[in-house]
Parts: sequence; C-alpha cells; structure tokens
Amino acid sequence: MKEEWRLLQTGFDTAFSNMAIDRAILVENSKGKVPPTVRFYGWIPPAISLGYFQSVAEEIDINACKHLGVDYVRRITGGGAVFHDKELTYSIVISETHPAIPKNILQSYGRICNALLQGLKQLGIQGTYAPINDILVDGKKISGNAQTRKANTVLQHGTILLDVDVDTMFSLLKVPNEKIKDKLIRDVKQRVTSIEHIAGKRISFEEVAEALTVGFEKEFHIELVQGILTNEEKTLALQFEKECFSTTQWNHRR
Amino acid sequence: MRSQSVYKVPQGKLLKISVEYNKKNNVIKNIWITGDFFAYPEEAIELMETKLRNTVLNEGQLLEKIRSIITEYHIQFIGVDAEGLTKGILMCKL
Repeated sequence: MKEEWRLLQTGFDTAFSNMAIDRAILVENSKGKVPPTVRFYGWIPPAISLGYFQSVAEEIDINACKHLGVDYVRRITGGGAVFHDKELTYSIVISETHPAIPKNILQSYGRICNALLQGLKQLGIQGTYAPINDILVDGKKISGNAQTRKANTVLQHGTILLDVDVDTMFSLLKVPNEKIKDKLIRDVKQRVTSIEHIAGKRISFEEVAEALTVGFEKEFHIELVQGILTNEEKTLALQFEKECFSTTQWNHRR
Repeated sequence: MRSQSVYKVPQGKLLKISVEYNKKNNVIKNIWITGDFFAYPEEAIELMETKLRNTVLNEGQLLEKIRSIITEYHIQFIGVDAEGLTKGILMCKL
C-alpha cells in the first residue's frame, strides 16, 4: 500500500495569506500534527514575492506595483523575486528525516523538481532541471523554486508559468543584465517561457494541478489524498499573516 | 563612505552588497548582503553582517573571517561561497 500524503488545493489568495499558509503548514508538520503535504495555489491580486535576502528597493518598482495593483511580500525562502500572475504555485512540506528527501539540499531540489518534470510530462512538455533551482523548457525558464529548512522540516515552493506577460513582469521587477551575463541570452525577457507558449494552447490551472498531482505521486511513489487545512493551521496562518507577512517591518526589512 | 556592488557569482547567484566603511583605515562600519542566493539557516545572513563589522576591507582578512563564521555557525550557502562574498564586498571598495 502506498504512503498517503495530503493534497491541499487552497485556491486563489493574497500574497500575505499564501506565504502565511505555507509557513503554518511547516510549523504543524514539524510538530508531527499533519502529514507530508503538497499544496497548489494562486495569487489574487497578482503579487511579487521577494527572496528572503533581497532588498525591496533593489528588486521592485514599488510605484509600478501600486499603479498596477500588484502586492509584494517577502518569502521565508531565499532565491529571486517572482511575479505571480498567470501561474500555478505549489508547495511541499515534509520532514527532513523522511526517506524521500535527500539530506543534501541541492539533491533535494533535484528530487522535488523531478516531480514537477513528471507533471509537465503529463502535459506533453519535456523540461529539464537546471540547478540550482530552475526548470527549463527549450532553454527558457518555466519554473523557479525555493527551499527552506526549519525545525527539521523542508518547505519548498515554486511556480509553473501558465502564461507570461514579460513586459508587465519586467516593468515591475528590476532585473540587471548581470543576472544573465553567463547565460548567453541578450535580454532578460528572452529568458522565460510558459506552458501556453510551449503547448500552443491554453491549459487551465486545474489541468496543470492535476498533472502535477500525478507527477508528485509518480516521483515519490505515494498517493495524494485531498485534504483541508486544520483549525490550528488556519489560526497560525492568520497570525503569521497579521504579525509578519502583511507588515512593512517584515517586507521592508532589507 | 558607503558604496555598493553587483556581482554575479560564476555559476551562482547575484550578489548585491552595500558597505559603509571608514575611508581612512578601510574598516567596515556596516554591511548589507542582499541577493537571490540561498543560505541555511536564512537568519545567518544577519549574523554574518554583524560579525563583519570592524573587519578590514582586505582580501585575506575578509576571506578568513567569512570562512570562520561559516564554520562556527554551520552556515550552508548555495549560489554563493566565501570567495564570492569576499569578491562582492571588495568590489565596494572605491
């Protein structure tokens, strides 16, 4: 019998709530209160998430965000700034001691990204894992991922671009050309692609979530069972949203 | 004196470092290490910034200090290393 993990489909939420929910799941999983969990979610309104170490002023055009109604939030994970608009975000929370998760952080990125690759394969899309934390299709980025480990628990979240408006994305993000200096690409805008672009047709959020569910099940030889957030997770998430992710103190700390 | 650097670590991440230092003796007063790298635990970066205060902007001394902080506090960097941090910091020296 296959091991059962929890599947959460929490729908579309604000940046602050989304980040708070991931952290709440991490806390509850670290206490052994909830099983390994895979979550799919989206962002309303569109938002930018910043890596833990990034400077708001260096990475984001705050005026452009205000003008376009785009929120921004600092993650508890490192990595780069991401514009969350037409995309699916996943998170996985699992104990560091679970045999499915390599102790080595880089190897664990690879393992979790393999689940995403298996998911993309369900959609007829052949991707490759590009260490440290990207998935590429035809040499362009379709997914970025970021992992933290706290209280012996792994949280990795990342995005799959369903569609992309590069002009809006790069009007909000300040990406210097140093970023791609060694990638032989002339313009940062040429660095991203999307499922719609690759498939040549629109594939819905739900279809991608279904494909990724299969991807996680295949990669980890588990069964994902639809579940809901526990009351403790909901309470914690509200607390994290209020006391951390929605505050200037947190979001502007660097 | 405060100055900044942007340094893409080869095969790694983008470092954006800002250093406030004494121009007379090149001693760091304050330092802000930002970028899209990864560090475990994440909070170690604030510790690194605090510990690098009063260090001279000199390659050997910086590298030794950064390496000793990494070892002492069991910090694991991904996308940047002690050499990359040292280079990014020294690029701030005008």
